[in-house]
Amino acid sequence: MGEIKQIRLCGLGGQGIVLGGTILGYAGINDGKWVAGSSSYGAEARGSACRSEVIISDEPIIFPHVTRPDILIAMSQEAYDKYIKDMGRDGETVIYDEQMVCTKEISGLRQLGFPAGSVATKELENKLVANMVILGIVAEVTRIVSRNALLSAIEKNVPERFRALNLRAAELGLALGRAQK
Amino acid sequence: MAWKEVRSALPAGNYYYSGNEAAAEGAIAAGCRYYAGYPITPSSEIMEWIAVRFREVGGVFIQMEDEIASLSSVIGASWAGAKAMTATSGPGFSLMQEGIGYAAMTETPIVIVDIQRAGPATGQATRVGGGDIMQAKWGSQGDYPVIAISPWSVQEMYDQTINAFNLAERYRVPVILLAEQAVGHLRERMNVVEKIAIFNRRKEKGAAPFGAGDDGVPPMPAFGEGEKLLVTGSSHDDYGLRKVADPLVQARLTARLHNKIVNNREEIIQHEDYYAEDADVIVIAYGFTARSSLFAVEAMRREGKRVGMIRLKTIWPFADSLIRDVGSRAKKIFVPEMNRGQVAGEVMKYTCCDIIPYNQTDGEVIHPNTIMGELRRLL
Repeated sequence: MGEIKQIRLCGLGGQGIVLGGTILGYAGINDGKWVAGSSSYGAEARGSACRSEVIISDEPIIFPHVTRPDILIAMSQEAYDKYIKDMGRDGETVIYDEQMVCTKEISGLRQLGFPAGSVATKELENKLVANMVILGIVAEVTRIVSRNALLSAIEKNVPERFRALNLRAAELGLALGRAQK
Repeated sequence: MAWKEVRSALPAGNYYYSGNEAAAEGAIAAGCRYYAGYPITPSSEIMEWIAVRFREVGGVFIQMEDEIASLSSVIGASWAGAKAMTATSGPGFSLMQEGIGYAAMTETPIVIVDIQRAGPATGQATRVGGGDIMQAKWGSQGDYPVIAISPWSVQEMYDQTINAFNLAERYRVPVILLAEQAVGHLRERMNVVEKIAIFNRRKEKGAAPFGAGDDGVPPMPAFGEGEKLLVTGSSHDDYGLRKVADPLVQARLTARLHNKIVNNREEIIQHEDYYAEDADVIVIAYGFTARSSLFAVEAMRREGKRVGMIRLKTIWPFADSLIRDVGSRAKKIFVPEMNRGQVAGEVMKYTCCDIIPYNQTDGEVIHPNTIMGELRRLL
């Protein structure tokens, strides 16, 4: 059996959760993997708790929805509270924006906080690219997608006038991830 | 032969598309250059994608005032010689029923993509459903032929849209891609190959446009090609002349419309077998539910349970002989559906085997754990 990783991104509508999931999936394709992704849709994608899920696999994916996430990426408290319940097995990882989320202690669960939002605000003067900072962190810490695959996915999926900004944000995330190690 | 090999519209390679985007690209690959539609959740991304891509490939895109007009426009475009399509969801599909009957009667090749959502009526616009199975076959008056295909992946949204156009052109029939919201909005890896086979409608100078060919499918001229052409939804003879009180004309026409699909069903119907050979309990599933089912069946096979699955890729015409065969081998047949048993009822028509329907109409997909739970009770 090849490796299958299930990833759930969650946060508030407007934080770029859906785009983040799409870019992560696209990066998986760039790495030659099988990928399936699904996201919140309709009103819930525009303001309230919002979710995007990606499965990245070495083999074809039979059931394309996340059944149990290996990695939870949380960008808001409400979303963290809602989805942390599904986490807790060995080897699972939570990556969260430390400005947005206060974590609960769960024994055995690796929970890593990063200043994604504040880095985006301070270094790039645009908190909207916190999602790209997070993706950089995720790529570096979990290795579910390669650096080059991520950067090229951002290039393909972000309109030209925001491209440089988003790539810079991902690079900052990659650096934050490296520092963590 | 009217088959030919053409270069794919997209460069060969892997893409990360949604099912809706894949259907739009499949249409473009098949040669569709006319789209008329009215936006409706959860199908709207198809028309959005088409609207952008038609500017690149040179197609005509029109947003119509409603779904009745959309389908009428598509039928007209087809008679002008274009490969034409529309996409919608349940409520819009209901409005299209009149046009579907008309397209079937006038033997107009068209493709309709129906991204099913939870009904009845406007139901739950953003939620999944699978309740349009019977509507696809019996929504318009009279007995008429359609072909309906149930894709289960983004890859099939692309491949089967190409197939839908080929079938429509081959048999001069409306073809419905009967997908579900969960497939339309799914994103997956989609592979595009360099070349695909496409079928373009047969033309024959001076031939009767409604006369029986060898296989019951007449050649089809387009308006403007110099043929004398009458097209009517009323009963008509081989040349399209209205004959609304002639029993022989009516009998021949309705029989031929029916037989051109039924007699070619071996060529049309597609299905897949998974572990069905020695299974005691066989799941008959289609669309997204077949993915949940296969996941469940494979998990239970690893436990040594004798379960299997048949996936119906074609819903209409219904795979009657396949069901007869499966019914003679299995002890029980389990039919999970996102409706109140529309395919289960068809299955019951063709076998006396014990049929156990599972019907979930809560706007959510059927989870593999649900199917595993049900199967355990049946073993």
